[in-house]
Amino acid sequence: MKRIFIDPAKCDGCKNCSLACMESHRQDGGTGLYTLDLTDPANQSRNRIISDGKGGYSPIFCRHCDSPDCANTCMSGALEKNQETGLVTYDKDKCAACFMCVMSCRYGVPAVDPERTRIIKCDFCAHLEEGPACVRACPKKAIEVREV
Amino acid sequence: MERFVIIGAGAAGISAARVLREFRPDDVITVISTDEKIHSRCMLHKYLGHERDADGINFAGTDFFENNNIIHIACETVSKIDTENKTVYFGEGYSAPYDKLLIATGSGFFIPPIPHFREAPNVFGFRDLSDALKIDEAFGKGKRVFIVGSGLVGLDAASALCHRGAEVSIAEMAPRVMPLQTDEYAASVYQKVFEEQGCRFLLGIGASDAVVDGEGNITEVILSNGEHIPCDFIIMAAGVRPRIQIALDSGIAAERAIQTDDHLRTSAPDVYAAGDCTGLSGVWPDAVEQGKVAARNMAGVDEVYPKPYPFKNTSNFFGVTMLSVGRLDLTDGAEILVHKTPKEYKKAIIKDGRLTGYLSLGDISNSGLYLYLIREGIDVSGKQDKIFRLTFADFYGINEKNGEFAYKT
Repeated sequence: MKRIFIDPAKCDGCKNCSLACMESHRQDGGTGLYTLDLTDPANQSRNRIISDGKGGYSPIFCRHCDSPDCANTCMSGALEKNQETGLVTYDKDKCAACFMCVMSCRYGVPAVDPERTRIIKCDFCAHLEEGPACVRACPKKAIEVREV
Repeated sequence: MERFVIIGAGAAGISAARVLREFRPDDVITVISTDEKIHSRCMLHKYLGHERDADGINFAGTDFFENNNIIHIACETVSKIDTENKTVYFGEGYSAPYDKLLIATGSGFFIPPIPHFREAPNVFGFRDLSDALKIDEAFGKGKRVFIVGSGLVGLDAASALCHRGAEVSIAEMAPRVMPLQTDEYAASVYQKVFEEQGCRFLLGIGASDAVVDGEGNITEVILSNGEHIPCDFIIMAAGVRPRIQIALDSGIAAERAIQTDDHLRTSAPDVYAAGDCTGLSGVWPDAVEQGKVAARNMAGVDEVYPKPYPFKNTSNFFGVTMLSVGRLDLTDGAEILVHKTPKEYKKAIIKDGRLTGYLSLGDISNSGLYLYLIREGIDVSGKQDKIFRLTFADFYGINEKNGEFAYKT
């Protein structure tokens, strides 16, 4: 079971992780940051870096919790904790867009897509063999994948 | 080897079955349900709106019982529990012995004592798939529907039927729609989107009588102001009552709901209860949690059921999303903060430095922490100026052991 570990002390707020996340999940078929539409809500990042205004940063990434509030409250079966991989997976076809998960995640991670028909949540870049794009994009190694 | 029997295949029953199987790979688990198929009550409107079929609203996966080696006795209603001989009776003379039993019978819709309403064959609930099937059939004969109650269930039914071209009238005793979840403004937004879809609301008014045809079917509802509303059928969405008949018939302590202790044990030995039938809460996540806690206790783990969440719900109708947590009506001595833009409406109720209610209409992304702040009574004093922009960063902490987050307060 893997988890992205966070060392907030190392984060300098460059948001390369957010850009990498957006790029990794873009649906328009394009590649490369130069063509990524940063203003399109459909491209929103699944992670967030929040500044405390005093030079400190709080990276908020889905924890794929051991006891995930989101999956525990999902009434459609769309969100599931995979006991083998440890990931909380999301099946948008099963999702009924009730947003109980949005209400229940105590860390405020899941977002609602602009169409209000599904949620946006970290999928650990399941489509990439090399693993989460955010981790590879971090120049400070403030985030790294570790076994738990 | 122990024999576990679960009565009910809803949120509590299925989550209990799943947990029991994890703890007891080799024991015999039997689920007896009136329902033929597992289904999510919260998705019934998807079925009624013909967006999904019965398998599409199965929240556990269509092979749940096979995959977990659980015996499912479907379409059978338990008539009695012999708590001395530890046996449940169902169907025509069938019985199943148990070592541990879970009652997860849920709740049923309630029909107020309005003349003709309790007897009329064209008055339906909207709780179970069987209700949706009946409504579907009725809809084939006539498109004028009268819905009693504008809570989530009533609006779910209304949205599904609007989607199919019904002529919908909704009566609500309270002066606004979704009275438990909304304030006046939020209610007006929802009222407008439903009216745009062709629904008619009759607010602050109730049904007081009915006109019936020769077969007892209601053809007109008479409102308390004397107005007659013609209709082809009626959907009752004026609240639910815990299903406790089995308990009453079996000498298990119950009044309005089945009584449970802090381990979700009933008054009978080795008989537990979880979900709506306990009256502890009426929402999906709590039923799931109760099912899990009861199951762990049944498996021998000593676990106390934690305090239920405060009142909470989300709604999503015609793309208008809302999150409503805690009490919006308890405003005495409280500070009420409001944020309103053309696209968003948010309201926070703060008492003694603690959030007691929170409403968000519009984009509700990333707002889960408000439920946690209310539930845990976390101090937010000094944060009033950014109450609508709070994020986990304001309480940021990391559990060094496993890399998960932890609230720092």
